[in-house]
Amino acid sequence: MSETEQELARDLGFLEAYTIGLGTMIGAGIFVLPSIAAEQAGPGSMISFFAGGLVSLLAALSLSELATGMPKAGGSYYYVNRALGPFFGSIVGWGMWAGLTFASAFYMIGFGQYLLPGLGQYIGFLAGWGQIGITVAALAMAALLTAVNYYGVKETGSLQNVIVLTLVGLIIAFLAIGIISGPTIGEFNPEGWPAVAATIGTVYVTFIGFEVIATSAEEIKNPSRNLPLAMIASVVTPTLMYVGVMFVSTGTLSIEALASSEVPVADVATEFMGSLGALAMIVGAVLATVSSANASILSAARVNFAMGRDRILINWLNEVHSRFRTPYRAISATGIITLVLIAIGVGIGTLAEVASFMYLVTYALVHVTIVVLRRANPEAYEPAFQIPSILYPFVPIVGMLACLAVLFQMSVEFVPAVLTVGPVELAAPATPTPVGAIGTVLVVFGIGWYYLYARDRALSESLVGEAIAPEPTAMANGEGRYRVVVPVANPETEQDLLRMAAASAHAHEDETAEVIAVNVIEVPRQTSLSQDLEFEEERVKRQQELLDSARDIAADLDIGLQTRAIVGRHAGSVILNVIEEENADHVLLGWQGTRSRREHVLGSTIDPVIGRAPCDATLVKLGSTGERGEGDIMVLAGEGPHAPVAARRAAEFLTAADGASLTLLNVQSPEPDTDEQRSPTERGDAVIEELAERAGIQYMTYETEIRVAEDIEQTILDAAEDYDTICVGATRSGAISQAVFGSLPETVGEEVDTTVVMARGPEESAMSIREALLRRLEV
Amino acid sequence: MSRSLTGHLVVPVANEEDARATAQILDEYDYDEVTVVHVVEKGDGVPDKLSLEQAEKRASEAFDAFRGVIPENETEIAYSRNVVSAIIDVATDVGAAAIAFRPRGGNRLVQFLSGDTALKLVTKADRPVIALPEESEDE
Repeated sequence: MSETEQELARDLGFLEAYTIGLGTMIGAGIFVLPSIAAEQAGPGSMISFFAGGLVSLLAALSLSELATGMPKAGGSYYYVNRALGPFFGSIVGWGMWAGLTFASAFYMIGFGQYLLPGLGQYIGFLAGWGQIGITVAALAMAALLTAVNYYGVKETGSLQNVIVLTLVGLIIAFLAIGIISGPTIGEFNPEGWPAVAATIGTVYVTFIGFEVIATSAEEIKNPSRNLPLAMIASVVTPTLMYVGVMFVSTGTLSIEALASSEVPVADVATEFMGSLGALAMIVGAVLATVSSANASILSAARVNFAMGRDRILINWLNEVHSRFRTPYRAISATGIITLVLIAIGVGIGTLAEVASFMYLVTYALVHVTIVVLRRANPEAYEPAFQIPSILYPFVPIVGMLACLAVLFQMSVEFVPAVLTVGPVELAAPATPTPVGAIGTVLVVFGIGWYYLYARDRALSESLVGEAIAPEPTAMANGEGRYRVVVPVANPETEQDLLRMAAASAHAHEDETAEVIAVNVIEVPRQTSLSQDLEFEEERVKRQQELLDSARDIAADLDIGLQTRAIVGRHAGSVILNVIEEENADHVLLGWQGTRSRREHVLGSTIDPVIGRAPCDATLVKLGSTGERGEGDIMVLAGEGPHAPVAARRAAEFLTAADGASLTLLNVQSPEPDTDEQRSPTERGDAVIEELAERAGIQYMTYETEIRVAEDIEQTILDAAEDYDTICVGATRSGAISQAVFGSLPETVGEEVDTTVVMARGPEESAMSIREALLRRLEV
Repeated sequence: MSRSLTGHLVVPVANEEDARATAQILDEYDYDEVTVVHVVEKGDGVPDKLSLEQAEKRASEAFDAFRGVIPENETEIAYSRNVVSAIIDVATDVGAAAIAFRPRGGNRLVQFLSGDTALKLVTKADRPVIALPEESEDE
């Protein structure tokens, strides 16, 4: 896809990204948490919110760098899986999903509390439904949101901006009027510092919102600027607001009144803004909780998609609805679990804390990821936004330790636990909290998932090894040995391709030269699970058959053969990796002879391999008539940069085949030279002679043929009919543009019925950073 | 001067299955050239329902399916909140003679929820719109 198209796909500006993050951050938390926080730590909870904000700010810095470095769907999960491998990928993937569903349930119960007891003060029939009513309202709203996302009902971006900015306005008014009315703080820290620390864990749920920005990274305009800015702004704004709201709330109402309130902010507002102010806060809260839950459900579907893409989760969940164009299964699954969590009555505080727990685990690993990525491959990992160098090792290290500290203190209570087993009494200095227990179970579930499911299927590999030993390991084998990589996919063409590769290998060192046959199973696109399994089995079987017959062919040809059976997402990148790993000298591919569509020139696998292989590359179209790579071989002796490579290939085939002949053909136009008075034939002879010298085949036996004609292309096509095999060099050097080899070789390949061999030398043009990065991430 | 109704067709496809079915039907008729369009629906200010990567994968699957039946074609991915106007814009850009599409049924609720695309396309287009039969005639 071109750059401009990619830009078209980006439609979230700074304001949208900021309101998406901010909406989720202040959404539910600011209206629900003051009650819980006040109960736990009194006015001291201001410190809890502030500390939570700092922990998040560190995570936002790391996440910004990662998100601009690889803007892919899946957010933190994707980065962790990419850098630390599928073990941590499973933990974080499941953790984020669980975190988002717990958070959605939390938002929905908050919604129920504001809707029924809150609005019930103003609208009679909403009052007096009690806890059951709240649960039912929460369930109904969660079901409605799931349906909205399932059916792909469009929300408007401007509405979201209006809601969030109105909320911000309301909160600022609340703070301003609240502070003017002179709040009086009682005892600042009634519960002691451990309670303040524990409250960080409770309120952290509010700070998971900026993750939503990361999961939408691929949609954000000008991401290098907007993404970090939106993330940092959407952490700083709510942090300040929360501290202010806690100050006003605890200064206006007694801790007891706050703790028992289901609509704390509205109750506080009643004190100094009257019932109208309180009503405004309630309406704001209702809208905010809905928008938070909505964003979380979509984010959860993104995480599912990314996990399915990396084969950590079954792709079945990612099926897109044919009419609504939504990932309806992932959305339904998230919705159902959210409903279950609401229905079983986990308790609003616990829901919040489990969501916090899972995200603290995630962010701790995000900090590790950034260190690993920076160390593993600084040349390919080029984020547009980087943590400033003076802060670099400090941010991830302190960030990770902070996450772990919060995690630890929310997971255990410092109450001695005594376990009596028969006569033995085991005393532990602390007991796990329910949140610690649930969180640990979820992490253990992720680990179990890795061992039972993901380990054998996952596509990614950990880069930790590379981070620890950043120097590439020396090529253990293959130094000085000529290696030809041959991707094989079709049993009918396999024999001829291997024979031609063997001819090339034999021409170098007879003893040690080697052919590497590669077959790639491209991971199928979304198919249903049952189809998927059958399909896989069939393909694995076919792969085995192909490679088995390759071994037989190699034995006949008397050539060393290595086979590589690989499962990958994209055959092109897998082959390029094999070329790099094997330190190959030559790659030889088959081509069906039809030019591809607009996005690809010759084919989705051929284009990248021919375009980027750092070695000799040959594309062979096996002819429907004539001997293949044998018989009468003709080289188009032009002046192109790669014509000598084509001549060398022809010479290799000649040497390997019995009774073959070699002709160098040159076509000249009849017009005389401007400066020199040479006949067209003389000119043609000169070109051929020079070519033979450049190719190093001047001592071989070959014939020359010179044709003189106006229409060079047509003459070549006509001449080609007389030969069995045509070798032509790339007329174009450099990266993929309109044509991979140049239009002439490709036309010959397409038009001529006999075997056509297109050759080029090593690709020397430097890869752009973007290309290199893509290439690395595509695998 | 009058021009051919079927000179250059713009053909919207929704997904792989739709693309294949549309191509099979289209293959039974004469036309000069065809540009296949897939519209990636954008939130335009709100996060998309479908991640971009997944949406683009769907587009290329649809194009592949179409190409499996009719190899000669141009393809175009459009990104827009509004599917119908995106199709019309592409038709204008490529100077198409007409837009040919295969209306997909669905009950009233579904049409209400997804917005009756077929109706909107017919009423809003600034050039002829050809509704292809849902099933191929041979079947």
